[in-house]
Amino acid sequence: MIVTPDEQAEIRRHAEADYPSECCGIILVRGSSERHLMRCRNLQDALHQDDPVAHPRDSRTAYYIDPADLLRASRYEREGYRVAVIYHSHCDAGAYFSQTDKRNALFGGEPAYPDATYVVVSVGRGRVIAGGAFRWDAARRDFLPVEFAGFAA
Amino acid sequence: MSVHVYIPTPFRRATNNKDRVEARPGDVGALLDELESTFDGLRGLVRNEAGEIHHHVNIYVNSEAIEALQGLKTPVRDGDEVTIIPALAGGV
Repeated sequence: MIVTPDEQAEIRRHAEADYPSECCGIILVRGSSERHLMRCRNLQDALHQDDPVAHPRDSRTAYYIDPADLLRASRYEREGYRVAVIYHSHCDAGAYFSQTDKRNALFGGEPAYPDATYVVVSVGRGRVIAGGAFRWDAARRDFLPVEFAGFAA
Repeated sequence: MSVHVYIPTPFRRATNNKDRVEARPGDVGALLDELESTFDGLRGLVRNEAGEIHHHVNIYVNSEAIEALQGLKTPVRDGDEVTIIPALAGGV
């Protein structure tokens, strides 16, 4: 199971509340049963306003997790949690792992979170209508879809 | 005593999978010099060739981002906790 039913409901609420902006968040897991879903703040609009040349997109088509949220996540990691799921939404677009998603999921040419699953939810007209999950495939050196039954309309 | 540096997942391939390392007090720039000297794989991941921190990397001393302090000149003292975090972003 990539996300629990409760987490799926929470991601759905988050994605629909933030529409038409992309939402983003992290699920941290410790051991086999302790899980913490962390909604994160999408800073993309602020970046776009400050420097539209460096950041041509706004939050309708991009997300940038507030570093303060990543600092918060790192505190969980220090306590033995690991980043298990990184989720975000696509507004009026499919639940695919885009070239932007792939490029930004690499760090120095290697996957930043090689053991995490990236979950993408598609929000159409304000309602979550589909979801997809993607993981790094070391042999093919690419992020590939994995079986995921969540977020059916 | 020393400065405690927390290494999040994206950097651990460069630190032999260590999530915590210790460094000498001084400032953030000297701390990065020391880390890069110990872990060669960190070179280029945190700073560019000009020695500037990549725009997609954030460094915190305790809970303060160093750009709100003195940047690379931010002092780090015994017992301080430094965290180096790369950005997490994407989009359609």
